[in-house]
Amino acid sequence: MKSLYVETDTILHRLSPRTKLVALAAISVALFFTRSYVLLAAAAAAGAFSYLLVGLPIREALRRLLPVFATIAAVAVFNFAFNSAEEAIVMLLRLTTLMLFAATVTATVTVASFIDEITALARPLERLGVVRAADIGLAAGLVIRFVPEILDRYAAIREAHAARGLKVGFLTVLAPLIILTLRDADNIAAAIDARGFRRQ
Amino acid sequence: MSTRNLVLSSLFAAIIVALGMLPPIYLAVFAVPITAQSLGVMMAGTVLGAYRAGAAVLIVLVLVAIGLPVLSGGRGGLAVFAGPTAGFLLGWLVGAVVTGYLSEKLVNAEQSGLVQTVSFFLACFIGGVVTVYFFGILYLGIVGGTGISKAFLGSLAFVPGDIFKAVIAALAGRAVMAGYPLLPQRA
Repeated sequence: MKSLYVETDTILHRLSPRTKLVALAAISVALFFTRSYVLLAAAAAAGAFSYLLVGLPIREALRRLLPVFATIAAVAVFNFAFNSAEEAIVMLLRLTTLMLFAATVTATVTVASFIDEITALARPLERLGVVRAADIGLAAGLVIRFVPEILDRYAAIREAHAARGLKVGFLTVLAPLIILTLRDADNIAAAIDARGFRRQ
Repeated sequence: MSTRNLVLSSLFAAIIVALGMLPPIYLAVFAVPITAQSLGVMMAGTVLGAYRAGAAVLIVLVLVAIGLPVLSGGRGGLAVFAGPTAGFLLGWLVGAVVTGYLSEKLVNAEQSGLVQTVSFFLACFIGGVVTVYFFGILYLGIVGGTGISKAFLGSLAFVPGDIFKAVIAALAGRAVMAGYPLLPQRA
């Protein structure tokens, strides 16, 4: 699984991850304090500029944002038809700006530093005994490790059904897929504890 | 959280991610493709119960936030949370917990298969449909600027597909309970 981080070296890459995340949070709040077309359009232009600075080829840059932009545009059209044109334009500019800045942060912060930030954020919760901050990285690693395995298993179960002349339905594949996958849990948990990854 | 529960939640998070990578299933009844990812959220509740299902969905959302393309169609990154439908993602988290909680309360091993399936369906409907839409519509109405009532009407078109998913999740939940029960063992 390839992350959406873009491996280049730009000014935006060199900013600390925390600065970028705090700035993104501040922008997302600030955007909802104004309804001025001029201010919002300026913010959208700044967002587009920062996203262009990231160094993605234009085609790839657009392709990444298309699904999110499609939902924003669809809701804007809905607003235009059923509410007011003003509401539609304000909402379109606000969310597009937010999308561009968010995509900029995603493209310039590595997965590892993201996990570090989330771990730091979870430290206070750790003191309360709610979570263990280090578990976040472990869980992320487990998911990335097991997704290909689950996809293989899905294909194998479908073939096994076909080989026996059974009708291959979605539901008939789903239950064995879940059971086979979760049955590994005990062995994986034992392996993690045996290696002392969680320092128990 | 014990290591076993952490692993169970992570594996289910992997199942939810994998369901988003399968080609969408076209059903003859509806012309629309069914993406199986929200089905995975309901099944997390019916299979794992409230606590571990919540953890599984939280893991998926963290993976989205850190920039991995784990949502259906290869979507991911913080930009996903900037869309007007981000409320549905938050709804997934609460919905999985509600589905899990109701599954724990309503279903037990002594019931007949039919009662179990119907109870699972109720849990999926209240958790995976009502709760998810509640958060999704609230967010769409406020942040998307459509107003709550119009957001509600606009979302109704997607409800039949999700009710169908609740049926599938209930049947899968019942099948897994018969084959490898995890639900009665409380986290």
